[in-house]
Amino acid sequence: MLMVDTTKNTMIYTTWGSRNAKPVQPLVAAKLISKAKRPLLVIGADALDSDVINKAIAIGKKGLQIAATGHSMQGFKDQDVNAKYVNIHFLAHYLGDKNWKGLDGQGSYDLVIFLGHKKYYVNQVLSGLKNFTDIKTLAIDRHYLQNADMSFGNLKPEDHLEALDELISNL
Amino acid sequence: MSKITTGKFSLEDLENVQITINNIVGAIETKAEEEGVEMGPTPKPGISSLRNWDYKLLSRYQPVYTPVCDQCCYCTFGKCDLGGNKEGACGINMEAHQAREFLLRVITGAAAHAGHGRHILHHLIEKHGGDHPINVGPSNLLAPNTQMVTGIMPKTLGDLEKVMDYVEEQLTQLLATIHVGQEGSSLDFESKAMHGGMLDHVGMEVSDLAQISCMGMPKSDPEAPLAEIGMGCIDSTKPVLLVIGHNVAGVTYIMDYMREHDLDDKMELAGLCCTAIDMTRYQTDKGGQPRAKIIGALAKELKMIRSAAPDVIIVDEQCVRADVLDEAKRLFIPVITTNEKIMYGLPDRSKDSADKIIEDLSSGKEAGALILDFDLLGEVAPRLAMKMAPIREAKGIKSLPSDEELKTLTASCVQCGACELVCPNNLPIMNAMTAAVAGDITKFEKLHDHCIACGRCDPVCPKGIPILNVIEKAAQRAIREEKGKMRAGRGQISDPEIREEGVNLVMGTTPGILAMVGCSNYPEGTKDLYTVANEMLQRNYIVVMSGCSAMDLGMYKDEEGKTLYEKYPAKFLAGNLINVGSCVSNAHITGTAIKVAAIFAQRNITGNYEEIADYIMNRIGAVGVAWGAYSQKASSIATGCNRLGIPVIVGPHGSKYRRALIGKPYNEEDWKVYDARNGEEMPIPSSPEFLLTTAETIEELMPMIAKNCIRPSDNNMGRMIKLTHYIELSQKYLGHLPEDWYKFVRVETDLPITRREELLKILEKEHGWEIDWKRKKIISGPTMKLDVSAQPTNVKRLCKESVC
Repeated sequence: MLMVDTTKNTMIYTTWGSRNAKPVQPLVAAKLISKAKRPLLVIGADALDSDVINKAIAIGKKGLQIAATGHSMQGFKDQDVNAKYVNIHFLAHYLGDKNWKGLDGQGSYDLVIFLGHKKYYVNQVLSGLKNFTDIKTLAIDRHYLQNADMSFGNLKPEDHLEALDELISNL
Repeated sequence: MSKITTGKFSLEDLENVQITINNIVGAIETKAEEEGVEMGPTPKPGISSLRNWDYKLLSRYQPVYTPVCDQCCYCTFGKCDLGGNKEGACGINMEAHQAREFLLRVITGAAAHAGHGRHILHHLIEKHGGDHPINVGPSNLLAPNTQMVTGIMPKTLGDLEKVMDYVEEQLTQLLATIHVGQEGSSLDFESKAMHGGMLDHVGMEVSDLAQISCMGMPKSDPEAPLAEIGMGCIDSTKPVLLVIGHNVAGVTYIMDYMREHDLDDKMELAGLCCTAIDMTRYQTDKGGQPRAKIIGALAKELKMIRSAAPDVIIVDEQCVRADVLDEAKRLFIPVITTNEKIMYGLPDRSKDSADKIIEDLSSGKEAGALILDFDLLGEVAPRLAMKMAPIREAKGIKSLPSDEELKTLTASCVQCGACELVCPNNLPIMNAMTAAVAGDITKFEKLHDHCIACGRCDPVCPKGIPILNVIEKAAQRAIREEKGKMRAGRGQISDPEIREEGVNLVMGTTPGILAMVGCSNYPEGTKDLYTVANEMLQRNYIVVMSGCSAMDLGMYKDEEGKTLYEKYPAKFLAGNLINVGSCVSNAHITGTAIKVAAIFAQRNITGNYEEIADYIMNRIGAVGVAWGAYSQKASSIATGCNRLGIPVIVGPHGSKYRRALIGKPYNEEDWKVYDARNGEEMPIPSSPEFLLTTAETIEELMPMIAKNCIRPSDNNMGRMIKLTHYIELSQKYLGHLPEDWYKFVRVETDLPITRREELLKILEKEHGWEIDWKRKKIISGPTMKLDVSAQPTNVKRLCKESVC
């Protein structure tokens, strides 16, 4: 039984183009992450404003490399997760470079997951990745991010946290 | 054969014949030769003249495209879906189209400044004559951007006309390249964008030189007076005349009329956007005090109109909302348009009598008027404001809801989220509504600061709540306290100031110049500017403000009730806070870097763009920040900085400019230059790491500023100071020791003095560097050497010929 339906509301204000993100449920998102060979969890500074940062830590503890953008590094101090600071615009540039060795020197990533960002900002980053790279992107923020390959729909803050819990429990 | 010169000639024996010679081939070079100035290789460069330099920049700083739209709708072949970098019907792919889109933004911005420059120059020449001298303060180098780009050394207003001719011609050529088909290379579009950015700084320079010279504005004056700023500083018991825009020409006639008719104390003259800044500069160069007040930036336009305080609104050009007339009509505020760029469909009353216009507008027969005659405008505007104030008071005009209405409106919110979806900043409006119903209006007060007053929320509310008005009503207490001070724009940095400070900038002992420019589309409210400027001033950076940022900075005070303008001196020295002026004064920021090359380093700047840009890029630690950039002008200003090698960081909304220029620090090959002494390659630090990028938050921004002020020319004291700030700011705001700090270390004396031992241990343990612990010296490890005599250059032709 679904705890939160994260695919119901995909309302958008403006459109980027003809291709929009496929809405996903938390369970499907968890499976995608689990199956990825080199997933990268990109956490923005908006995560610090709520309990989202703790959900990010919980996902990170499942062994995912975290790219801490903005000043979200503050939230990962002494948390025993593999988090490295990187500017999100720089990250988008590096992800498009097949010669980039990744944040850990082990190579680039096959699935990039976004959480804790300003909607308008991360949608631009995703637009670049969508148009110029083959990397799969998954947005698990509380807004429907149409430029991702897959995204949660628009959610109320409390529903979003519940959806993240469901995702974490299925990793 | 005698030499032909410019001017007018009459031919003997022929009646009514006069020959005017404006331009002579090679005239710029000849004049330079006569004045003993060596002409550089690229006076008045065309689109391709500096292409090699652009390609050098673009090979290290590659374009990163983030389309706002996946489609192209430029011609009737389309729409074409370019998604996935596909080609459209004309053959252009997504990459090149994005570069073209960026170019279009840049030349739109450059045209706005150049159009302003031409308008004000034409007006001032008509008023003062073409022989009126350029006087911008105690400087010999009057027009650094102009001289570097065009080779022209203007001395009079008339000389500036030739400069504008060049800018306009080049902008036309650039605009032509936007046409369907043609260019297919994204990099060549990027080079063209760089060209447009460079032209923008010339156009801006012309605008400000002309107005400083003729309008009694401060001339490189560190003691420029303080002006009042903020919605709370307006005394709405007096008639209020509100001006909005960027071109102060017409407003000066209003100010003259007010003075001549003793109206200065009888009414309030307030301004929004850069006209406001320039009003406070008008006639203050000889100890005069500002005679107008500043409301703020574009984000305050709708808020100020909806307050119903203005009795008359005057608009000129550029950052003016398109709905001013519609909004004003609802509140019986007459609108006068004064510039051909904005006419709002109003009747042209330029040839009518003042009495008749005042009668028609005050009776409501007409909602506004177009007045292009400034003498007439000068009389009509203040007289109309004096007449409208009692009429509007008698009508009891108000816009914001009453306390009771506020309760009803907030209670009617159904929490559907439509307003938050359309809000550009996704502001938590629903939360504020809920809190207000429970009697807590503090969330609305916070929204007032974060809200850019675009008004997109109003029409989407299914319950018809006028959301912006609700925010403004609930925030009345906060608005009344919005009273600050801004230092009037001082214009250029003078030659003597450059002589004093240039060496510290090049050696790095002054950690850097932070130029905070641009508009008011902030991601988290206006106070962020204050926080950043305050931090960097305490760290001894030179902080230079301009335009809307200069205004917004003055809105906040410390615990002692002082704004940063009152707290910090305004000389061109470390730890000083400078306001150069309005939007067009941004040319003085690049002008300062050019002056350092000319005055401190004795480089020939005349028609010598590439060499000077190369010098600035490798030696001057300057970073631009346009935290609230929204306009096309901000993109052209930034791109003009970029072509000179000056990096710019924009706020997260800046990602919508569609492209950034970012380097790859992990590609070592990208971070090499020549040593001009012998032509050998030398490694350099990966700073600046970008030419244009975004930052997510101010906490991320501050260490980025510090790091990207590092330059190859830093001496060990300079590098130590810069590295100290980079490390400290990273630890303070990101909570970590930055991963790449060691890459900037050449010798042990580059290390922060108080943490030398601790950092040496890290270098040994984590990076395998060899340390002589007895002498506390680095034996091996660094990839770069400290050599203060090195002459870093990206341009091979500048190396000694024998080697290169």
